[in-house]
Amino acid sequence: MGSSSSPSKQKRTSAAGPSTSPLPATIAGFAVLPITYSQSATHILYVRSHSAPKHKNSKGKQREELPEGRTLFVVNVPPHATERELTVLFKSCGTVERVLFSTGGGNGSTDEQEADGAESEDETGMIEDEEAGDGEGSGSETDGDNGPRPKKKRKIAQPDGPQVVPLPSVPLRILRRTGHTAYVVFLDASSLARALKPPQKPYVWPVDTETPLGLAHYSTLYSFLRPPLDVVRAHADSWMEAFEHEQAKKRQESKYHKGEAIVDEDGFTLVTRGGAYGKTLGGGVGVASKQFVNEHGEGAGTGGGKRHRKKKTEKKEKDAFYAFQIHEKKRKEIIDLKKKFEEDKANIEKLKQSRKFKPY
Amino acid sequence: MPPTLKRKRSGSAASDSGSDASGSDASGSNKSSAAEWQGLDAAPDSQNAPPSSHAVKPPTGQELRNIKEATDLYRSSSFKFQIDALLPNVRPKYQHSQPLDAFLLALHKLLVDAPSVAPQHPLHASRSLSKKGIAVPYIRPLPTEDTNWKVAFDPPTDVVLVGSWPTRTSVKGKDALRYTVDIAVAMPPSLFQEKDYLNGRAFQKRAYYLATIAAALVGSKSSLPCEAFFESTSGDPRCTNLVLRPSDSSKEWSKLNVQIRIIPFLPESPIPLQRLSPSRSNLRTAAHEEETKEDATPIYNSAFMLMHTPKTHLLSVHALKQDVPAFTDALTLLRVWANQRGYGPGIRACVRGFEGKGMLWASILELLVHGEEPPPAGFGKASARRKPLGKGLSPYQLFKAALDFLARHRFGQDAVFVKSKDGHRFPPASYFSHEAVFVDSSSSVNLLAGVPLSSLDLLRHDAQATLDALDHSSLSEDPFQTVFLQDHRDVFGRFDVVLRVDVSSAEMRAKSAHLVADHGSVYNALLANLTSVLRRGLGNRAKAVAVLHPSSDVRPLTQALPSSSSVLYLGMILDTEHAFRLVDHGPSAEEQESESAKQFRDFWGDKAELRRFKDGSITESVVWDIKSADERVHVPAMIAKHLLQRHFSIGSDAVQTWQSQYDALLRAPDSIRSLYESRRASMGFKTAMAAFDTLVKQMKALDDQLPLAILNVSAASSALRYTEAFVPVAVPLASRPGLPSAASHLPAMEIVVEFEKSGRWPDDLRAVQKIKLAFFEQLATCLMGAVKGLQASVVLGDGPVRKEIQDEAALDIVTPDGWAFRARIWHDREATLLDRTIDPQPHVPKAVKKPLTPEEVRDRQAAIEAKEVYVRRFVHAPRHHRAVAALSHRSAAFAGTVRLVKRWFAAHWLLRSHVREEAVELLCAYVFLRTGARVQAEGAAGIVGADVPGTKERGFATVLEFLKEWDWTKGLVVPLEFGERDASVTPDASGRPSTRAAWSLVTEFDPEGRMWTSDGPDAIVARRVTALAKAAWDGLCGLESGDGNVKRLFHHPTDDYDFVVELNLALSPRYYQNVDADASVWAAKGKYANALPKEPVSAVMPGFDPMTMFHDDLKRTYEDTALLFYDVLGGSRIGGVWVPNLRTPRPFRVLGGFSSIPVPKDGNKQKEKSQGLVVLNENAVLAEIGQLGHGYVVKITQKGA
Repeated sequence: MGSSSSPSKQKRTSAAGPSTSPLPATIAGFAVLPITYSQSATHILYVRSHSAPKHKNSKGKQREELPEGRTLFVVNVPPHATERELTVLFKSCGTVERVLFSTGGGNGSTDEQEADGAESEDETGMIEDEEAGDGEGSGSETDGDNGPRPKKKRKIAQPDGPQVVPLPSVPLRILRRTGHTAYVVFLDASSLARALKPPQKPYVWPVDTETPLGLAHYSTLYSFLRPPLDVVRAHADSWMEAFEHEQAKKRQESKYHKGEAIVDEDGFTLVTRGGAYGKTLGGGVGVASKQFVNEHGEGAGTGGGKRHRKKKTEKKEKDAFYAFQIHEKKRKEIIDLKKKFEEDKANIEKLKQSRKFKPY
Repeated sequence: MPPTLKRKRSGSAASDSGSDASGSDASGSNKSSAAEWQGLDAAPDSQNAPPSSHAVKPPTGQELRNIKEATDLYRSSSFKFQIDALLPNVRPKYQHSQPLDAFLLALHKLLVDAPSVAPQHPLHASRSLSKKGIAVPYIRPLPTEDTNWKVAFDPPTDVVLVGSWPTRTSVKGKDALRYTVDIAVAMPPSLFQEKDYLNGRAFQKRAYYLATIAAALVGSKSSLPCEAFFESTSGDPRCTNLVLRPSDSSKEWSKLNVQIRIIPFLPESPIPLQRLSPSRSNLRTAAHEEETKEDATPIYNSAFMLMHTPKTHLLSVHALKQDVPAFTDALTLLRVWANQRGYGPGIRACVRGFEGKGMLWASILELLVHGEEPPPAGFGKASARRKPLGKGLSPYQLFKAALDFLARHRFGQDAVFVKSKDGHRFPPASYFSHEAVFVDSSSSVNLLAGVPLSSLDLLRHDAQATLDALDHSSLSEDPFQTVFLQDHRDVFGRFDVVLRVDVSSAEMRAKSAHLVADHGSVYNALLANLTSVLRRGLGNRAKAVAVLHPSSDVRPLTQALPSSSSVLYLGMILDTEHAFRLVDHGPSAEEQESESAKQFRDFWGDKAELRRFKDGSITESVVWDIKSADERVHVPAMIAKHLLQRHFSIGSDAVQTWQSQYDALLRAPDSIRSLYESRRASMGFKTAMAAFDTLVKQMKALDDQLPLAILNVSAASSALRYTEAFVPVAVPLASRPGLPSAASHLPAMEIVVEFEKSGRWPDDLRAVQKIKLAFFEQLATCLMGAVKGLQASVVLGDGPVRKEIQDEAALDIVTPDGWAFRARIWHDREATLLDRTIDPQPHVPKAVKKPLTPEEVRDRQAAIEAKEVYVRRFVHAPRHHRAVAALSHRSAAFAGTVRLVKRWFAAHWLLRSHVREEAVELLCAYVFLRTGARVQAEGAAGIVGADVPGTKERGFATVLEFLKEWDWTKGLVVPLEFGERDASVTPDASGRPSTRAAWSLVTEFDPEGRMWTSDGPDAIVARRVTALAKAAWDGLCGLESGDGNVKRLFHHPTDDYDFVVELNLALSPRYYQNVDADASVWAAKGKYANALPKEPVSAVMPGFDPMTMFHDDLKRTYEDTALLFYDVLGGSRIGGVWVPNLRTPRPFRVLGGFSSIPVPKDGNKQKEKSQGLVVLNENAVLAEIGQLGHGYVVKITQKGA
């Protein structure tokens, strides 16, 4: 670390005075938005209008959530930013409809990258890297945070199921990894254009005083995590009720019913036994070994079983029957011995080089 | 025979065509060598067998013999190579001896030509010499005006090279000491008279003879390029010799780094040798002049005998060298081993009594090869004689045999007589007055005369430890390193208890002129007395009590008598079974008047008292008072201090120990302790465990109120296994309010609850987590109902966001006494469910599997994380807990060591954030288990290995020593289960280089070794640990000199950090644990009152530590930006280092993973290149940190700013 200190100093001077040496207005297709934290510290946001991925597998749902034309893609969001703070930050440009944080972790916006991948040449290699690394995961962007939410909504929306009593919630900051991204959806397209234009004066980061920071944050968190017992009870009980309701419904919908044999599409009947918990699937026919059930799970009807039958002991040949075999074996032993000996020798030579054998 | 075989081969191997032709060539050329193959006849012929590798040829007979020899006669071939590599490094390079030989010739000439001096009065003689600047090293009592004998000088009758140089058995000394070339100068017998054996008269004459030679050497006419000094072996003025070193101006013979020692000796003399039998008394002190019966003067006599032996010793070594081919190498190994352990000269602490004992080591080998002289008929047990070993042993075998002898022989009890040509010179019985007896092959001198028994105890212990290391090296360490290459003279790593004693003011209580005269000087007599007193006083508490001091150095010719260092070190190796006993029993009351009772009282002084014990007996006894159980380990040091005070009037100010300094590091400051006491807090590990047991009982009693019975509650907290850095403290709930906030931390002890199995658990991970909440709620309600004053609350998890399938829920329980527990529920079906999520189709080959949908990928990722938490929390943590608790019980010092080492790691901002507590425990366990693990399996109590630390101070030093040398790229095997399954465990050398973890700590139940190290330390931190350990070790060695506090090792330098975040001390609930805790922070309330939070401090918040939470959040957020360091034990600062390559400009990326700022356009230069480059925005990150820690970040300092 000491070695890197001299170049760093140089850099710090450059970073310290952003006002004196002007920042570039754009970088790799992103507008550079300086945000002042304090007099000495300026944070940089990189913004661009969101363009939906042209993937074949891009989902309609996502298109709905992030309407093209009025969605701002923001990179390098401060780790402690809240929805409200971002809303306030862009207030001068227009009304913000909502803010979506990406998980910050893995592959937030490969699509974004890809959309303009061809724009700058020196970036393409890197993008490909990212693509390759992410592989199948590329679609998961933005789902991390808001994915479960609609699901829950759906559950609650169901009129027939029991309601889940939610745990109390308090405004708490969720710390995300530094340098993560977010989508800011404006109410109209003109605000987006305004947001992309570099401002006259750098924006000042609005600190939301209602969501606590620092010590207050931690003590709030601490008490938030320890809700009153009756709330916990109500939550757990109602949740389980909802869960059981769901299960029951699923069971009804399922083609597998207790006491009926499971026949897969090839017409094979799965033979299982009762299962550890009594009410696993099917079970009308005979008994499969417990091992079978454990290894293949309930759903696995095909393909598994044969593999294990092959495990028969291979025919043993006597390897010391002919004289030459014995000789060869002996010879091999000796050669191995020598090899090891030579290895040791080489090892010691190496150690000798590093002057290890001077005891004092 | 070969041809037939060949035919068969070619027939059978017809298919591998190409190889056959070349193979037959090879076998043809090998035919000649095949003759010497004898037993392995056909082997060379099958040469052509492996078609793949022609290069590999079987070894020739000679090679094979070498290989066999290396593996059979040495430990292993690599051991042999290492020995071979070592030997040349510790021997002088004789090929450079030409200039030395020339010098020796000149010296010989000068000695032989030295002018005679007529007999004259000793004082007169010394006066004339002192004019030349030479003091005659007369011994005490100095000659007076009325002495009636005369001193004279005649040229020596003989000048011989003796000692190790001419036999080429010299071994390099420690600390770059010079090789010594010994020259024995035969004093003409005419100078001596028959009665000279009395009262050291011969020594006076010898002193004059030496001084005259010195005068001749430094005299103006001599042109020898050297400087002369006096030197006294072991500080005994009777053994003064002359040492010549090359003078600075001349470099002629300095290349070899040698010095020349001139030893006057008496090949034949008019003095009758039988007068020098060890039982004779040859000193007539004034008071005893008239008495006929006198005490023997064994040390004096053997010093006298040494004047006769140089030449005989030379001859015996020479004969041995001729006889035993391996002798030289074995001797070298033995002496290197001994030097590394301080049994030889050196400038650091060396073991008392082993100076100038070169002949001892040679004689030990002689004893092994030639056997013992049988005692004359009717004397002692003739049965258990040692059988002589063969002469054809390898050096290593001889070396090991010597260690075996040293480790087994009981020097205090059995005398050893090396086989000699003419039988015993003196009857064995006459050696009764020697402490230890080892008579050389000339049967004239006891080589162990003057060596205290306690030093021999240490020698014995060291030999045993080395044998253990050699025999039990199944562990990952190569024993060669420890046996030969490592310096073992550091007192802190070697001894359980170390005392630094200043003896300058010491005075013997039982002063005896006779003793002083026998030992030659007051100092030597004092040391001899001191070692025997301590040895007796400590008895079986200590395996060895050694006195250490730097070996005697040369002195200028103007100084007649040797000076001695006033500081010495007392090192004890404790026998932990007995060491901490509080009472020593003496003779019983009936024997009040007996001699033994008197002796007992005399020995212990006012500490001895008559006491009545539980069993009704009344005995003289000594009781050591301690204030707390922790002080028990101080008893041996207390005894030593008491004895030093009583027998040598060495006050406590002259004795320094370090134990209490270490203790202070593990204790809350006094003001906090008194605060606790005033609130009737309960303290201690035992109390905590009792509280745990009570809680378990209470929980089990709820069986009928809970839907499922509680099967098991297991602990998984360091506070419940003796290894928490600070002793757990519980302040009763009622008296908690008003505790200063800097000491309000209430650690929650993790426990794991296991319910009985039931089929009613849902088969869904999310549901399992919710069911846990329900269970906790019920448990909490029931517990609070059953136990009055108990508080319990359900904890949802750690952070603001819930993880759905991971075990997060916990139950915080605070007992009325103030103990806090955090319970978790172990449901073993979770593992199966998680496995199923991770891989729903284990039987389907990878290639056939459907690609996962993004949703599944996410689930899988979450499941992998959840599984990791599950395995660590429920499988490994309780098991680790049990193993460590067991180890704490078996080895008294283990827990203390772990606590100190944890403290050290914490003080250097590494514990928990980089190094898990469990990893520290494993490291310490390794140090305790690396030797003697096997013996342990059978042993009932205590770890019996020879080299296991007996106190936490030594344990700490040993761990540091280990850490500084540890090559962590190789895995470390910790046989935590005490070797029950150790055969199967081998370090996974290949490891997984991809993981972040640098350390691999393999145990029986964790063959990969990453369970506790998977999230750190990474390579950067691991390197830092090594560096810190090195620095701390150097600091520890610096402590030897007596100044400085142990605390120094725990002070953390912050220069290396790029930025340091300072936190508000007063707001840390565990600030009082800080190494440098400042009492004013919690005492002077007014000062910080305005900074205190508004909420009442009285709320009991188990496990609440905002500083650590803050640090953890920062660490998570800035994982790829900076490495953060923080002291969890009351730290007040967070240090950070930027990830180095972020500070060089790089192209902008959307997911750079760090807060960046574009590199500003740099005028016209590099316009193209700098475009699109960004660099770490340090100021913004620091500003963010300031915002996140709003309220308690006081200041952020940047390096260089």
